[in-house]
Amino acid sequence: MILEELAFLVLALVAIATAIAALLVRELVHTILWIAVFFVDLSAIYFLLEAPFLGVLQLGVYAGAVTVLLLFGIMVTRKRIFSREAATGIGAVPFALAVVTFIFIVSVVGEFPSSAGTIHAYSPADLSQNLFNVNGPWLLLLGLIMLGAVAGAIYLVREGRE
Amino acid sequence: MDLGSFAGPFLPEILLLAGTLFIFLLDVVGVRSTERVGAVAVAVTGLALLFVIADLGFAPLAFLATIPAGQIDAAGTGSALYAFTSLGLIFQAVFLLATFLVSLASLSRPSQDRGAPIFFGLLVLATLGMLLVAIASDLVFLLLAIEVTSLATYLLVGYTRKDPRSLEAAMKMYVIGALSTTLSFFGASLLYGAYGTTNLAAIAHVGGAGGVPVLVLLGYGFLIVGLAFKATLVPFHAWAVDVYDGAPTDVTAFLAGGSKKVGIFAFFLVFLAPILFVRTGTGSPFANGAIALGPILQITLGVLAVLTMTVGNILALLQKEMKRMLAYSSISQAGYMLIGIAVGTAPALAGATLQIFAHVFMKGAAFLLVAGVTAWGIGPLIDDYRGLGTRRPVVGVAFALMLLSLAGVPLTIGFVSKFVLFSAAVQAQGYFVWLAVAGLLNSALSVFYYARVLRVMFFEEPAAEKFPAGAIVGGSGPSELPAGGFGYGRAAAIAIAVIAIVAVGIYPQPVLGAIQAAAQHFVAVGA
Amino acid sequence: MTDLPLVGFIGLSAALLAIGLFGILTRRNFILLLIAIEIAMNATILNFVYFAAYTGGTAGLTGQSIAVVLVGFAATEVAVGLAIVLALNRLKGTINVAQATELKL
Repeated sequence: MILEELAFLVLALVAIATAIAALLVRELVHTILWIAVFFVDLSAIYFLLEAPFLGVLQLGVYAGAVTVLLLFGIMVTRKRIFSREAATGIGAVPFALAVVTFIFIVSVVGEFPSSAGTIHAYSPADLSQNLFNVNGPWLLLLGLIMLGAVAGAIYLVREGRE
Repeated sequence: MDLGSFAGPFLPEILLLAGTLFIFLLDVVGVRSTERVGAVAVAVTGLALLFVIADLGFAPLAFLATIPAGQIDAAGTGSALYAFTSLGLIFQAVFLLATFLVSLASLSRPSQDRGAPIFFGLLVLATLGMLLVAIASDLVFLLLAIEVTSLATYLLVGYTRKDPRSLEAAMKMYVIGALSTTLSFFGASLLYGAYGTTNLAAIAHVGGAGGVPVLVLLGYGFLIVGLAFKATLVPFHAWAVDVYDGAPTDVTAFLAGGSKKVGIFAFFLVFLAPILFVRTGTGSPFANGAIALGPILQITLGVLAVLTMTVGNILALLQKEMKRMLAYSSISQAGYMLIGIAVGTAPALAGATLQIFAHVFMKGAAFLLVAGVTAWGIGPLIDDYRGLGTRRPVVGVAFALMLLSLAGVPLTIGFVSKFVLFSAAVQAQGYFVWLAVAGLLNSALSVFYYARVLRVMFFEEPAAEKFPAGAIVGGSGPSELPAGGFGYGRAAAIAIAVIAIVAVGIYPQPVLGAIQAAAQHFVAVGA
Repeated sequence: MTDLPLVGFIGLSAALLAIGLFGILTRRNFILLLIAIEIAMNATILNFVYFAAYTGGTAGLTGQSIAVVLVGFAATEVAVGLAIVLALNRLKGTINVAQATELKL
């Protein structure tokens, strides 16, 4: 299955490149463009992993909602944060920390069979069975998180009239 | 399964959810006065507290019990996601107590405060998240429940939206919180990848007695770092002082008295099973090319505990501001609590739990008192408290009792908890004795900065007349936005705390007995 | 049925986590901080998805469920962060974290 491996390699490289680019470009609007590509790219990886439901979710929530949300945030605060503040250099210590984290995690790769493994596909029907039935409490907790977030966020950004 | 028998055990949680929704509804229909909204929060948390105490087997309230007796401390019943343990119920009681005191004291905030519904609503919602943490038996359930609390707390810290300090504190807490969440979930994903499950007991047991793969070690490592941020352990503590300092002081009381304990209890839940399990496994740490987890975890947590105690205490010594001093002291207290899980025996867990219980009354109430005193116009510096003890003896003595209890003076609850904790560490033998020694040395160190406050309060004359002529009730100052008075609610909350400090300090047996029994069950189920 | 080596995926998610951590530690603009957090969060979600894909069976479904929940959670987290930053922006006219306070770890 050389074709899939090639596809994964390309997608992975694009993901890493866009993630780095998003954090390093000077213009904040370009950052949003790069991060949008990053989200779409990850969604493609999910399709490659035969998780179509997550792929669609990634497209809708991340590439759609989160990107627009971030863009909106930039628009509202634009006058104040125009370009320059966004670009800063690369500090030695955080860079070293990032590299160490990477090496540290990759070093445990030896634990895994490096040969190809079979990827299991799941039907969205089975997934929803699992999501709403056995693991329903997780969704309830997510609902509680969103309840607090909505109430608090509306209060914070609402114009006070006092 | 009918609804009653399914929903019954969750009555406290349902009550809090209903309370949150009701408070938000009051906001929509325009009822925004602090007293009315706060009364709902006080009532809901108080009622839920009664239910939890009844479930703990407190005989006079037995008619309120909602959980069938067979479901508590029984492994393998019900869902794999949650389980009722008596230690978890004790933590529920601690969390509810903290919220009860904070919302009672917050009744004294100015009644025209438009943010009151959001303040109390998020407070109750954050408490609901804590209650769910206390019944978690699944890693993802636990982390999501922590997030319910966290997101509500970020917004609580920033809820005085006209005060830049408070919003900055919220922003800082948000960034650190998001970082810690990501690291925790990353750790959880590695554990899931290793074993294909996120049930805490299953993760701990599935590796067999021989050892665990490196992947699991890495997963637990990420979890330690992620949860250490939440529990304000050194070296992941630096955010906490600025946040405690910048947040509205009533919220600080909630952070110190309640939400930080969530991190500590998460340590109990996540790490007890692997520590207990591997201890009965093979002796060699590196058997079969895999690693015995227990000793490594215990040494790591022990080192974190000693670091947290020592650094927290030394930095507290150097502080000039009251809130920052209390914040650093709160960090060092987290170190004492961590000893419980580092030792990992039932008595040690009981000691740590009692310490957490005591901390609500000592530190939580101390912050509530500072909030009230600040509203009199007393500044943030420790030196600003000059003469408080002579001019306002009642408040001064209450504050002194809290500080003495924090220092661990006999006849206070702080002495009992430290005694139980350190003696448990000594009983555990081995290098755990050094944890007890470090704890004792740190207690001695902490006496210095508590004594300094006492000296300033009682033996130094105020530079100028700072205390306005009014009675204890009423009064407001410009230094904190929005100013809160020292009203009846705050006085009641502080009175409850003082009574608890002295009463449990003199006659600890009922509370201590319940906690020790719960810790025994917890260890028995976890092993 | 596809065959892909697991090594590649763990390398990718490790790299993304490292990039995200680096961004969280260095960026001073709050929007960039949010993006860095999202990159790290995506690494976590990717972890769950590929472990689920290799695990199979009910255990695999659990992993995908976690991933679905985490996508929703991460979006909520961004919304809260933006709310805080908009309120601060209105008050102080900056969303620069360094100007607000010195971020220490």
